[in-house]
Amino acid sequence: MPRNNYKKQNNNGPTKHRLNILKNLALIALAIIVVRLFFIQIIEHNAWVAKANEQHTLLEAITAKRGEIYMMDHGEPVAIVLNQTAYQIVIDPTVTQKEDIEKVVNTYAKEYQTADIDEIYSQEGLRYAIVAKNIPRAIAEKIAESETPAVWLKKTNQRVYPEGEFASGLLGFVNNDGVGQYGVEGSLNKALAGENGLIKTTSDINNVALSIGKDNVKIPAKDGQNIILSIDRSLEKGTEELASEAINNTAATNASVLILNPNNGKVLTMANLPNYNPNEYSSVTDAAIFNNYVTDVPYEPASICKNFAFSAAINEGKMTPDTTFFNQHYEVVDDWKIWNAEQRSSLYGTLTMRDALYWSLNTGSIHALKLLGDDPTHINQQGREKLFDYYYNKFRLGHTTGVELNEAEGFIPDPNEGWGRDSTYANLTFGQNLSITMLQTATAFSAVVNGGTWRTPSILEDNPTQERVEDKILSDETSAMMREMLIHNRSYKVRQGIDRAGYDIGGKSGTAQVIRNGAYDDSFAELVGSYIGFVGTSGEMPSYVIMVKMWGEGQSIGSGDAMSLFDKISNYMIDYMKIKPGGV
Amino acid sequence: MNRKHKSDLVILFATLALMALGLIIIYAIGPMRANVLNNTYGTDYDSNYFFLGQLRSVALSLIAFFAAFKWIPHKYIKKYAKPLMIVSLVLSGLLWLLSLTGSSLARCELGECRWFNLGGLSFQPAELIKLALVIYLADFLARKKENGELGKWKEFWLPLLIVCGLSLFLVVIAQGDLGTGVTLIAIIFGMLLISGIPAKQYLIMIALVLAVAVGAVATSSHRMQRVDAWLTTLTGGESTDSTYHVDNAMLAIGTGGFFGVGIGNSVQATGYLPESINDSVFAIMGETFGFVGLFLVLIVFGAILLRLLKVAEHTNAADDRLIITGVFSWFLAGVVVNIMAMTGIVPVTGITLPLISYGGTSMIFIAFAIGLSLQISCYTSREGIKDENISSRGRLRGSHYTSRRRSS
Repeated sequence: MPRNNYKKQNNNGPTKHRLNILKNLALIALAIIVVRLFFIQIIEHNAWVAKANEQHTLLEAITAKRGEIYMMDHGEPVAIVLNQTAYQIVIDPTVTQKEDIEKVVNTYAKEYQTADIDEIYSQEGLRYAIVAKNIPRAIAEKIAESETPAVWLKKTNQRVYPEGEFASGLLGFVNNDGVGQYGVEGSLNKALAGENGLIKTTSDINNVALSIGKDNVKIPAKDGQNIILSIDRSLEKGTEELASEAINNTAATNASVLILNPNNGKVLTMANLPNYNPNEYSSVTDAAIFNNYVTDVPYEPASICKNFAFSAAINEGKMTPDTTFFNQHYEVVDDWKIWNAEQRSSLYGTLTMRDALYWSLNTGSIHALKLLGDDPTHINQQGREKLFDYYYNKFRLGHTTGVELNEAEGFIPDPNEGWGRDSTYANLTFGQNLSITMLQTATAFSAVVNGGTWRTPSILEDNPTQERVEDKILSDETSAMMREMLIHNRSYKVRQGIDRAGYDIGGKSGTAQVIRNGAYDDSFAELVGSYIGFVGTSGEMPSYVIMVKMWGEGQSIGSGDAMSLFDKISNYMIDYMKIKPGGV
Repeated sequence: MNRKHKSDLVILFATLALMALGLIIIYAIGPMRANVLNNTYGTDYDSNYFFLGQLRSVALSLIAFFAAFKWIPHKYIKKYAKPLMIVSLVLSGLLWLLSLTGSSLARCELGECRWFNLGGLSFQPAELIKLALVIYLADFLARKKENGELGKWKEFWLPLLIVCGLSLFLVVIAQGDLGTGVTLIAIIFGMLLISGIPAKQYLIMIALVLAVAVGAVATSSHRMQRVDAWLTTLTGGESTDSTYHVDNAMLAIGTGGFFGVGIGNSVQATGYLPESINDSVFAIMGETFGFVGLFLVLIVFGAILLRLLKVAEHTNAADDRLIITGVFSWFLAGVVVNIMAMTGIVPVTGITLPLISYGGTSMIFIAFAIGLSLQISCYTSREGIKDENISSRGRLRGSHYTSRRRSS
């Protein structure tokens, strides 16, 4: 023991002791380092790997080429919507001098600027910013020649609409992010856009791909499909001209026209006036102008629906055009007095159903509903259910039609639910208390006049993937009787020389009151005028169905305005489509 | 004087191993570095440029190492302690003057002029100051001790403060080289501790230096930014431009995990990590070799450090012991400050990793210093420190401290 004590004392000499301080200092420092390394490399390892992947992985989208849009012109597809190469100005605010980019933008690309430079530079840590978009090649070349440091030009595809405003309501546009909006661009965006590819690589700090990474990926882009619309370009153009003329000459501010072939469901024209320029969509102030009113916006086509009520009663064998009823100008249903619009005294008394359609008498279409219920004096459940069956299941009103565009559904009230069912259904016979789109209306009307077959409408020239419904919903006889009455409706047009000899042209008007505060506005201060009809060679099946809708905010647009636009279009079509006259 | 015997083999082989490791690392990431510089600054470095540079540095370092180890007697070196110190200070002073006059002989990077430009070759006089200071202080402190002047103001502190102050001024202020400044302070305090000055004076000096350091940090926005970045990293805060270096060093180390990504697979070396071949080489080794690899490297560093202390313990001559202590402090500062900066424990000061980092001058001088220590290790005695009149009888492992003497 004493020896040990002696030894210990000796070992604690000042220099040795101080060397031990240094030794301990070194050991402690190394120990701290080892613990710290263990913490970073073992405990935090996964977090650092995740961070590294974020930093090292270069994800670059390979932009798919967007499909182009074609229309038909004399049987040949012509391009209506194209792509062109454009450039974006891209900067890294930590590298690019603010004065440099300001100079470039102000000198060359002021009108293409999409972001506020001050705002970009106020964001801390921002490494990527797009300053301007859709710069044409010529200007991009000038910017490149200026050799401004740290300003990059990125190649992009820009959508161009060479025909400007033409068919804009149908076509829609592509926004700054490359996503189609409204119309064909919006509805068929997925097919048009294709699928962007992806390059995923480990890259060095200058974003040059390295061969080091284990999971480098390259997925090629799938280019978008070209789309050929069944729209006839010249017909669309001619129709738009006639429609905008009609807007200029009437109080209407808006007009929509739909032309389709009732024998195959192909849409030939879908015009929405006024148009806008999809190249400059951002300058539009009221987004309502983007709507495709033919498919997007359900409304009440009013007396046009009498065609459907009449067809139902005839097809059920309950009536013919010669069936008679007693017209006293009004009908009381559920204690509501429903008046006819046409009140001339000569019409008081016994009339045929043909007369009822000609004068568009609400009492007549209510009578058809009564006949559907086998009770000529009252509306009953059977009548309501039959009418619902025809409207909803056969004519497919209140459904999307299945056309390749985005569509609104609309609404048909249930025959056995809710309050005031009889008056509601009385209203249905003349096209109120429901909401349906122009396309639903015209597709149903096509079945009325084409021999009774409901066909899924189509906007594409060739679409093998579309599920196409062909449903014989009316007998040939029913369709023939309806055509006869519809042609009779326009007998005075023949006398006036508006409808030419050798052609069968039939039609029906509809004037809809506007619902204000939940009730029909009986002041008639605002009306929506509609007209639907067909045109074809005399004695043959109709070739085309034309539907016109005209309206204006706070304007009372009668069906007369819509009818005269129809008159002009039907005559234009006879010439342009070279419909041959029959029996002359 | 003890009889000459074999040198410390651990220090010898550890030193050579670290140099070899540095060569391997630079061989692997040198091409990446060249690529990054070429892409970023439009330079035209050959992909072998940095490896060949390192090879040249290692060759020169080996010459310096063996010169100090075998060829030049340490007595001779010690004799020139004072002239060497003066030359080193004059060289640094000359560099300062050249940089002030904007001469092309002074090579500056990022506004700091630390190198002489000798037509393709460059020389960093701050490294010479480290070596000179070690040799000069060893001579000075041993002499003062012998004369019993340790701790006296006029005879001891005044000349000491002048030499140390001048050295620090030239390195930290004139050359803006905080990393070398930290190393010099480590050398000074390591040697002072062993010189035997009174503990009270020693602690007062430490307090004074700390006060000056805090003042220097607080009065410089640049240094405050560094400290702020360090605190941000340490507390796991948001990344900023200032924390970029350390963030990426830690990212490299963290990605390495247990076994590392392997040689040639470092992604951080492709430009993400600044100074990947010199100050940040430890982080690249962390990515490449993982925790296991770094642990082994630390063992090698630790072995050199502990063996140096062992040599010091068994060196009888006070000046030799002080030289070893100075080399130890120098080496320790390099290893610890560099690694701790790379792992976010201390702020970044810009200090190379001894024997591994790319950079000629620093490797040559530390190699010379270690070589000198090895020469001194040939004259250790079994009993250890004699001048304290204390004999250490502890059994020591390692041939040249024990068995060899015993068998003779």
